Amino acid sequence: MQHTWNFASVFAYWDVLLIGLWGTVYLFVLTCVIGLAGGLVVGMLRYSKNGWISYPARLYVEVFRNTPVLVQIIWFFFALPVVIGVEVSAFMAAFLGITLNTIAFSAEVFRGGIQSIEREQWEAGKAIGMSYAKTMRRIILPQALKRMLPPLTSRGIEVFKMSTLASVVAYPETLQQAKLIASYEYNPIEAYTVVAIMFFLVLLPMVQLTYLLERRFGKSD
Amino acid sequence: MHNWDFAATLGDIDFLLLGLWNTLQVFGLALVFGIPLGLAIALGRMSRIPVLSQLCSFVIEFFRTTPPLVQLFWFFFALPILISVQMTPFVASVLTFSIQSSAFFAEIFRGGINSIDKGQWEAAKAIGMTRPVCLRRIILPQAVKRMIPAFAERSIELLKTTTLISTVSYADLMFQANELASKTFRPLEVYTVVAVMYFFLILVFSQLTILLEHRLARSGEGTLR
Repeated sequence: MQHTWNFASVFAYWDVLLIGLWGTVYLFVLTCVIGLAGGLVVGMLRYSKNGWISYPARLYVEVFRNTPVLVQIIWFFFALPVVIGVEVSAFMAAFLGITLNTIAFSAEVFRGGIQSIEREQWEAGKAIGMSYAKTMRRIILPQALKRMLPPLTSRGIEVFKMSTLASVVAYPETLQQAKLIASYEYNPIEAYTVVAIMFFLVLLPMVQLTYLLERRFGKSD
Repeated sequence: MHNWDFAATLGDIDFLLLGLWNTLQVFGLALVFGIPLGLAIALGRMSRIPVLSQLCSFVIEFFRTTPPLVQLFWFFFALPILISVQMTPFVASVLTFSIQSSAFFAEIFRGGINSIDKGQWEAAKAIGMTRPVCLRRIILPQAVKRMIPAFAERSIELLKTTTLISTVSYADLMFQANELASKTFRPLEVYTVVAVMYFFLILVFSQLTILLEHRLARSGEGTLR
Protein backbone atom coordinates (compact mmCIF):
# COMPACT_ATOMS: atom_id res chain seq x y z
CA MET A 1 0.00 0.00 0.00
CA GLN A 2 1.32 3.38 -0.97
CA HIS A 3 0.58 6.17 1.43
CA THR A 4 -0.24 9.53 -0.12
CA TRP A 5 1.32 12.26 1.92
CA ASN A 6 -1.01 15.10 2.66
CA PHE A 7 0.70 17.84 4.61
CA ALA A 8 -2.05 20.33 3.75
CA SER A 9 -4.22 18.68 6.40
CA VAL A 10 -1.61 19.63 9.00
CA PHE A 11 -0.83 23.11 7.77
CA ALA A 12 -4.55 23.94 7.68
CA TYR A 13 -4.21 23.91 11.47
CA TRP A 14 -1.13 26.13 11.57
CA ASP A 15 -2.70 28.32 14.25
CA VAL A 16 -3.16 25.25 16.48
CA LEU A 17 0.50 24.34 15.99
CA LEU A 18 1.55 27.92 16.65
CA ILE A 19 -0.23 27.86 20.02
CA GLY A 20 1.67 24.65 20.71
CA LEU A 21 5.00 26.16 19.74
CA TRP A 22 4.27 29.14 21.99
CA GLY A 23 3.42 26.73 24.83
CA THR A 24 6.71 24.89 24.26
CA VAL A 25 8.80 28.06 24.16
CA TYR A 26 7.03 29.54 27.21
CA LEU A 27 7.63 26.38 29.25
CA PHE A 28 11.21 26.11 27.98
CA VAL A 29 12.18 29.70 28.83
CA LEU A 30 10.71 29.57 32.33
CA THR A 31 12.13 26.14 33.22
CA CYS A 32 15.51 26.92 31.70
CA VAL A 33 16.01 30.34 33.32
CA ILE A 34 14.77 29.33 36.77
CA GLY A 35 16.44 25.93 36.48
CA LEU A 36 19.85 27.42 35.70
CA ALA A 37 19.60 30.12 38.36
CA GLY A 38 18.49 27.56 40.93
CA GLY A 39 21.24 25.23 39.76
CA LEU A 40 23.86 27.88 40.44
CA VAL A 41 22.57 28.30 44.00
CA VAL A 42 22.33 24.55 44.68
CA GLY A 43 25.72 24.00 43.03
CA MET A 44 27.35 26.51 45.37
CA LEU A 45 25.56 25.00 48.39
CA ARG A 46 26.79 21.60 47.29
CA TYR A 47 30.35 22.98 47.18
CA SER A 48 30.07 24.38 50.72
CA LYS A 49 32.42 22.96 53.37
CA ASN A 50 29.66 22.97 55.97
CA GLY A 51 28.10 19.49 55.99
CA TRP A 52 24.72 20.79 57.15
CA ILE A 53 24.52 22.80 53.94
CA SER A 54 26.23 20.54 51.43
CA TYR A 55 24.57 17.29 52.49
CA PRO A 56 20.92 18.32 51.95
CA ALA A 57 21.96 19.89 48.63
CA ARG A 58 23.59 16.62 47.63
CA LEU A 59 20.50 14.63 48.64
CA TYR A 60 18.31 16.93 46.56
CA VAL A 61 20.58 16.55 43.52
CA GLU A 62 20.70 12.76 43.82
CA VAL A 63 16.93 12.40 44.23
CA PHE A 64 16.10 14.52 41.20
CA ARG A 65 18.87 13.14 39.00
CA ASN A 66 18.00 9.54 39.80
CA THR A 67 14.28 9.64 39.06
CA PRO A 68 12.77 9.99 35.58
CA VAL A 69 11.28 13.41 34.77
CA LEU A 70 8.03 11.79 33.67
CA VAL A 71 7.64 10.23 37.12
CA GLN A 72 8.24 13.64 38.67
CA ILE A 73 5.68 15.38 36.45
CA ILE A 74 3.06 12.69 37.10
CA TRP A 75 3.83 12.82 40.81
CA PHE A 76 3.32 16.59 40.93
CA PHE A 77 0.13 16.29 38.86
CA PHE A 78 -1.60 13.39 40.59
CA ALA A 79 0.06 12.95 43.99
CA LEU A 80 0.90 16.49 45.12
CA PRO A 81 -2.79 17.63 45.12
CA VAL A 82 -3.52 14.86 47.61
CA VAL A 83 -0.83 16.19 49.95
CA ILE A 84 -1.58 19.92 49.74
CA GLY A 85 -5.30 19.67 48.98
CA VAL A 86 -5.06 22.09 46.03
CA GLU A 87 -5.48 21.26 42.34
CA VAL A 88 -2.17 21.40 40.45
CA SER A 89 -2.53 22.60 36.86
CA ALA A 90 -0.89 20.75 33.97
CA PHE A 91 1.43 23.70 33.45
CA MET A 92 2.42 23.81 37.12
CA ALA A 93 3.13 20.05 37.23
CA ALA A 94 5.28 20.17 34.10
CA PHE A 95 7.00 23.35 35.26
CA LEU A 96 7.81 21.91 38.69
CA GLY A 97 9.02 18.58 37.30
CA ILE A 98 11.27 20.01 34.60
CA THR A 99 12.58 22.94 36.69
CA LEU A 100 13.52 20.85 39.72
CA ASN A 101 15.20 18.36 37.40
CA THR A 102 17.11 21.10 35.58
CA ILE A 103 18.24 22.59 38.90
CA ALA A 104 19.69 19.21 39.92
CA PHE A 105 21.51 18.64 36.63
CA SER A 106 22.87 22.16 36.24
CA ALA A 107 23.93 22.18 39.91
CA GLU A 108 26.35 19.39 39.05
CA VAL A 109 27.65 21.32 36.06
CA PHE A 110 28.21 24.43 38.20
CA ARG A 111 29.88 22.44 40.95
CA GLY A 112 32.17 20.71 38.46
CA GLY A 113 33.04 24.04 36.86
CA ILE A 114 33.83 25.71 40.19
CA GLN A 115 35.86 22.69 41.30
CA SER A 116 37.88 22.74 38.09
CA ILE A 117 39.35 26.16 38.96
CA GLU A 118 42.76 25.78 40.56
CA ARG A 119 43.09 26.20 44.33
CA GLU A 120 45.70 28.95 43.84
CA GLN A 121 43.04 31.25 42.44
CA TRP A 122 41.18 31.06 45.76
CA GLU A 123 44.37 31.63 47.67
CA ALA A 124 45.33 34.59 45.50
CA GLY A 125 41.90 36.13 46.09
CA LYS A 126 42.30 35.65 49.81
CA ALA A 127 45.84 37.05 49.73
CA ILE A 128 44.69 40.39 48.35
CA GLY A 129 41.98 40.54 51.02
CA MET A 130 38.88 39.40 49.11
CA SER A 131 36.07 37.69 51.01
CA TYR A 132 34.82 34.23 49.98
CA ALA A 133 31.76 35.69 48.24
CA LYS A 134 33.81 38.30 46.43
CA THR A 135 36.42 35.78 45.23
CA MET A 136 33.62 33.57 43.99
CA ARG A 137 31.92 36.39 42.11
CA ARG A 138 34.94 38.19 40.70
CA ILE A 139 37.59 35.49 40.23
CA ILE A 140 36.14 31.99 40.22
CA LEU A 141 32.77 32.28 38.47
CA PRO A 142 33.93 34.29 35.45
CA GLN A 143 36.56 31.64 34.70
CA ALA A 144 34.35 28.69 35.56
CA LEU A 145 31.41 29.94 33.46
CA LYS A 146 33.56 29.78 30.35
CA ARG A 147 34.27 26.10 30.97
CA MET A 148 30.65 25.39 31.83
CA LEU A 149 29.22 26.92 28.67
CA PRO A 150 29.30 23.77 26.48
CA PRO A 151 27.65 21.42 29.04
CA LEU A 152 25.08 24.08 29.91
CA THR A 153 24.09 24.49 26.26
CA SER A 154 23.60 20.74 25.89
CA ARG A 155 21.49 20.85 29.04
CA GLY A 156 19.37 23.57 27.43
CA ILE A 157 18.81 21.34 24.40
CA GLU A 158 17.75 18.49 26.70
CA VAL A 159 15.31 20.79 28.49
CA PHE A 160 13.79 21.88 25.19
CA LYS A 161 13.17 18.26 24.25
CA MET A 162 11.90 17.48 27.74
CA SER A 163 9.11 20.02 27.31
CA THR A 164 7.26 17.45 25.15
CA LEU A 165 6.65 15.43 28.32
CA ALA A 166 4.16 18.10 29.35
CA SER A 167 1.83 16.60 26.73
CA VAL A 168 1.32 13.62 29.03
CA VAL A 169 -0.62 15.83 31.43
CA ALA A 170 -2.31 17.58 28.46
CA TYR A 171 -0.48 20.91 28.66
CA PRO A 172 -0.93 22.47 25.19
CA GLU A 173 2.61 22.33 23.83
CA THR A 174 3.65 21.36 20.30
CA LEU A 175 3.28 17.59 20.62
CA GLN A 176 -0.05 17.84 22.43
CA GLN A 177 -1.41 20.08 19.66
CA ALA A 178 -0.15 17.62 17.03
CA LYS A 179 -1.98 14.84 18.89
CA LEU A 180 -5.15 16.92 18.64
CA ILE A 181 -4.67 17.47 14.91
CA ALA A 182 -3.90 13.78 14.38
CA SER A 183 -7.09 12.74 16.15
CA TYR A 184 -9.25 15.24 14.21
CA GLU A 185 -7.84 14.54 10.79
CA TYR A 186 -6.59 10.95 11.14
CA ASN A 187 -3.21 12.03 9.81
CA PRO A 188 -0.68 10.88 12.45
CA ILE A 189 2.06 10.43 9.82
CA GLU A 190 1.99 14.03 8.67
CA ALA A 191 1.24 15.54 12.09
CA TYR A 192 4.09 13.80 13.91
CA THR A 193 6.49 14.26 10.98
CA VAL A 194 5.83 18.00 11.06
CA VAL A 195 6.51 18.10 14.82
CA ALA A 196 9.74 16.14 14.40
CA ILE A 197 10.90 18.53 11.67
CA MET A 198 9.92 21.55 13.77
CA PHE A 199 12.08 20.36 16.66
CA PHE A 200 14.90 19.46 14.31
CA LEU A 201 14.91 22.91 12.74
CA VAL A 202 14.78 24.72 16.08
CA LEU A 203 17.46 22.63 17.75
CA LEU A 204 19.93 22.09 14.88
CA PRO A 205 21.40 25.61 15.18
CA MET A 206 21.66 25.12 18.93
CA VAL A 207 23.55 21.84 18.46
CA GLN A 208 25.90 23.53 15.99
CA LEU A 209 26.47 26.23 18.61
CA THR A 210 27.42 23.53 21.12
CA TYR A 211 30.05 22.17 18.75
CA LEU A 212 31.41 25.67 18.24
CA LEU A 213 31.54 26.34 21.99
CA GLU A 214 33.20 22.99 22.61
CA ARG A 215 35.93 23.77 20.09
CA ARG A 216 36.45 27.26 21.54
CA PHE A 217 36.19 26.63 25.27
CA GLY A 218 36.31 22.87 25.62
CA LYS A 219 39.97 22.02 25.92
CA SER A 220 42.09 25.09 26.59
CA ASP A 221 41.30 28.48 28.08
CA MET B 1 -3.93 16.20 56.27
CA HIS B 2 -3.57 13.12 54.12
CA ASN B 3 -3.54 9.75 55.73
CA TRP B 4 -0.66 7.79 54.25
CA ASP B 5 -1.63 4.19 53.60
CA PHE B 6 0.78 2.04 51.66
CA ALA B 7 -1.15 -1.21 52.23
CA ALA B 8 -3.01 -1.10 48.91
CA THR B 9 0.14 -0.27 46.95
CA LEU B 10 2.36 -2.81 48.62
CA GLY B 11 -0.35 -5.45 48.40
CA ASP B 12 -0.13 -5.17 44.62
CA ILE B 13 3.64 -4.91 44.47
CA ASP B 14 3.76 -7.93 42.09
CA PHE B 15 1.87 -5.84 39.60
CA LEU B 16 4.54 -3.11 39.83
CA LEU B 17 7.39 -5.64 39.72
CA LEU B 18 5.98 -7.02 36.48
CA GLY B 19 6.15 -3.48 35.12
CA LEU B 20 9.74 -3.18 36.31
CA TRP B 21 10.61 -6.40 34.50
CA ASN B 22 9.03 -5.09 31.29
CA THR B 23 10.96 -1.82 31.67
CA LEU B 24 14.22 -3.73 32.04
CA GLN B 25 13.41 -5.82 28.95
CA VAL B 26 13.02 -2.79 26.73
CA PHE B 27 16.09 -1.20 28.31
CA GLY B 28 18.21 -4.31 27.74
CA LEU B 29 17.10 -4.82 24.15
CA ALA B 30 17.62 -1.14 23.32
CA LEU B 31 21.21 -1.49 24.58
CA VAL B 32 21.78 -4.77 22.71
CA PHE B 33 20.64 -3.25 19.41
CA GLY B 34 21.67 0.34 20.07
CA ILE B 35 25.37 -0.18 20.83
CA PRO B 36 26.35 -2.10 17.65
CA LEU B 37 24.16 0.22 15.58
CA GLY B 38 25.89 3.17 17.22
CA LEU B 39 29.29 1.77 16.31
CA ALA B 40 28.16 1.25 12.71
CA ILE B 41 26.83 4.82 12.46
CA ALA B 42 30.01 6.21 14.05
CA LEU B 43 32.20 4.35 11.54
CA GLY B 44 29.90 5.57 8.77
CA ARG B 45 30.29 9.14 9.95
CA MET B 46 34.08 8.83 10.04
CA SER B 47 34.17 7.16 6.63
CA ARG B 48 35.97 8.86 3.75
CA ILE B 49 32.97 8.40 1.45
CA PRO B 50 31.26 11.81 1.59
CA VAL B 51 27.70 10.55 0.91
CA LEU B 52 27.89 7.93 3.66
CA SER B 53 29.45 10.27 6.15
CA GLN B 54 26.90 13.03 5.49
CA LEU B 55 24.02 10.57 5.72
CA CYS B 56 25.27 9.27 9.06
CA SER B 57 25.79 12.81 10.38
CA PHE B 58 22.22 13.63 9.42
CA VAL B 59 20.85 10.54 11.18
CA ILE B 60 22.81 11.41 14.33
CA GLU B 61 21.70 15.04 14.35
CA PHE B 62 18.10 14.18 13.59
CA PHE B 63 17.73 11.67 16.38
CA ARG B 64 19.61 13.84 18.85
CA THR B 65 17.55 16.96 18.18
CA THR B 66 14.04 15.49 18.08
CA PRO B 67 12.36 14.64 21.38
CA PRO B 68 12.19 10.89 22.11
CA LEU B 69 8.46 11.15 22.76
CA VAL B 70 7.88 12.50 19.24
CA GLN B 71 10.00 9.67 17.80
CA LEU B 72 8.02 7.11 19.78
CA PHE B 73 4.71 8.50 18.55
CA TRP B 74 6.02 8.52 15.02
CA PHE B 75 7.17 4.89 15.15
CA PHE B 76 3.99 3.78 16.90
CA PHE B 77 1.30 5.74 15.04
CA ALA B 78 2.85 6.78 11.74
CA LEU B 79 5.21 4.00 10.66
CA PRO B 80 2.58 1.20 10.70
CA ILE B 81 0.43 3.14 8.20
CA LEU B 82 3.44 3.90 6.04
CA ILE B 83 4.66 0.32 5.71
CA SER B 84 1.27 -1.25 6.55
CA VAL B 85 2.34 -3.62 9.30
CA GLN B 86 0.89 -4.13 12.75
CA MET B 87 2.99 -2.39 15.37
CA THR B 88 2.88 -3.53 18.96
CA PRO B 89 3.84 -1.07 21.71
CA PHE B 90 6.75 -3.36 22.57
CA VAL B 91 8.23 -3.39 19.05
CA ALA B 92 7.71 0.35 18.66
CA SER B 93 9.47 1.00 21.98
CA VAL B 94 12.45 -1.21 21.26
CA LEU B 95 12.76 0.23 17.75
CA THR B 96 12.58 3.85 18.94
CA PHE B 97 15.00 3.50 21.80
CA SER B 98 17.50 1.38 19.86
CA ILE B 99 17.72 3.99 17.11
CA GLN B 100 17.54 6.96 19.46
CA SER B 101 20.27 5.70 21.75
CA SER B 102 22.40 4.54 18.80
CA ALA B 103 22.63 8.18 17.70
CA PHE B 104 24.02 9.09 21.11
CA PHE B 105 26.25 6.02 21.29
CA ALA B 106 27.62 6.88 17.83
CA GLU B 107 28.87 10.21 19.15
CA ILE B 108 30.49 8.48 22.12
CA PHE B 109 32.20 5.97 19.81
CA ARG B 110 33.39 8.76 17.54
CA GLY B 111 34.76 10.75 20.46
CA GLY B 112 36.50 7.69 21.86
CA ILE B 113 38.05 6.62 18.56
CA ASN B 114 39.16 10.19 17.79
CA SER B 115 40.78 10.45 21.21
CA ILE B 116 43.25 7.69 20.35
CA ASP B 117 46.58 9.05 19.22
CA LYS B 118 47.15 9.16 15.45
CA GLY B 119 50.48 7.42 15.97
CA GLN B 120 48.60 4.22 16.85
CA TRP B 121 47.03 4.14 13.38
CA GLU B 122 50.36 4.82 11.75
CA ALA B 123 52.14 2.13 13.78
CA ALA B 124 49.51 -0.44 12.77
CA LYS B 125 49.82 0.58 9.15
CA ALA B 126 53.60 0.32 9.38
CA ILE B 127 53.38 -3.32 10.43
CA GLY B 128 50.99 -4.03 7.56
CA MET B 129 47.60 -4.01 9.24
CA THR B 130 44.60 -2.98 7.18
CA ARG B 131 42.24 -0.29 8.52
CA PRO B 132 39.54 -2.72 9.77
CA VAL B 133 42.12 -4.96 11.48
CA CYS B 134 43.77 -1.98 13.12
CA LEU B 135 40.39 -0.68 14.28
CA ARG B 136 39.46 -4.03 15.79
CA ARG B 137 42.79 -4.96 17.35
CA ILE B 138 44.44 -1.65 18.26
CA ILE B 139 42.03 1.25 18.34
CA LEU B 140 38.73 -0.09 19.73
CA PRO B 141 40.17 -1.98 22.72
CA GLN B 142 41.81 1.24 23.90
CA ALA B 143 38.91 3.51 22.96
CA VAL B 144 36.22 1.38 24.63
CA LYS B 145 37.96 1.71 27.97
CA ARG B 146 37.82 5.48 27.74
CA MET B 147 34.19 5.42 26.63
CA ILE B 148 32.84 3.42 29.54
CA PRO B 149 31.87 6.38 31.79
CA ALA B 150 30.06 8.11 28.92
CA PHE B 151 28.35 4.84 28.03
CA ALA B 152 27.17 4.34 31.58
CA GLU B 153 25.81 7.87 31.75
CA ARG B 154 23.95 7.45 28.48
CA SER B 155 22.53 4.11 29.64
CA ILE B 156 21.16 5.74 32.77
CA GLU B 157 19.55 8.42 30.60
CA LEU B 158 18.06 5.65 28.47
CA LEU B 159 16.66 3.90 31.52
CA LYS B 160 14.93 7.10 32.56
CA THR B 161 13.64 7.72 29.05
CA THR B 162 11.97 4.31 28.94
CA THR B 163 9.19 5.74 31.15
CA LEU B 164 7.87 7.32 27.94
CA ILE B 165 6.69 3.95 26.64
CA SER B 166 3.83 4.07 29.13
CA THR B 167 2.25 6.65 26.80
CA VAL B 168 1.82 4.03 24.06
CA SER B 169 0.27 1.60 26.57
CA TYR B 170 3.20 -0.72 26.98
CA ALA B 171 2.98 -2.22 30.47
CA ASP B 172 6.22 -0.79 31.87
CA LEU B 173 6.64 0.32 35.48
CA MET B 174 5.13 3.75 34.82
CA PHE B 175 2.11 2.30 33.02
CA GLN B 176 1.48 -0.22 35.78
CA ALA B 177 1.66 2.66 38.25
CA ASN B 178 -1.00 4.59 36.34
CA GLU B 179 -3.22 1.51 36.32
CA LEU B 180 -2.71 0.84 40.00
CA ALA B 181 -3.29 4.49 40.92
CA SER B 182 -6.66 4.53 39.19
CA LYS B 183 -7.59 1.15 40.63
CA THR B 184 -6.73 1.93 44.25
CA PHE B 185 -7.47 5.70 44.25
CA ARG B 186 -4.15 6.13 46.02
CA PRO B 187 -2.02 8.12 43.52
CA LEU B 188 0.18 9.60 46.24
CA GLU B 189 1.33 6.25 47.60
CA VAL B 190 1.59 4.53 44.22
CA TYR B 191 3.63 7.26 42.53
CA THR B 192 5.81 7.69 45.59
CA VAL B 193 6.62 3.97 45.66
CA VAL B 194 7.36 4.04 41.93
CA ALA B 195 9.62 7.08 42.30
CA VAL B 196 11.50 5.28 45.08
CA MET B 197 11.83 2.16 42.89
CA TYR B 198 13.30 4.17 40.03
CA PHE B 199 15.53 6.04 42.43
CA PHE B 200 17.12 2.90 43.81
CA LEU B 201 17.36 1.22 40.40
CA ILE B 202 19.21 4.20 38.95
CA LEU B 203 21.24 4.76 42.12
CA VAL B 204 22.61 1.22 41.85
CA PHE B 205 23.55 1.86 38.21
CA SER B 206 25.23 5.18 38.94
CA GLN B 207 27.14 3.78 41.91
CA LEU B 208 28.42 0.96 39.69
CA THR B 209 29.52 3.61 37.20
CA ILE B 210 31.45 5.48 39.88
CA LEU B 211 33.13 2.25 40.99
CA LEU B 212 34.06 1.47 37.41
CA GLU B 213 35.48 4.96 36.92
CA HIS B 214 37.66 4.60 39.99
CA ARG B 215 38.79 1.19 38.82
CA LEU B 216 39.72 2.61 35.41
CA ALA B 217 41.46 5.59 37.01
CA ARG B 218 43.70 3.16 38.89
CA SER B 219 44.72 1.37 35.69
CA GLY B 220 45.56 4.78 34.24
CA GLU B 221 42.96 4.67 31.51
CA GLY B 222 40.05 6.52 33.06
CA THR B 223 38.71 9.98 32.54
CA LEU B 224 38.84 10.67 36.28
CA ARG B 225 41.69 12.88 37.44
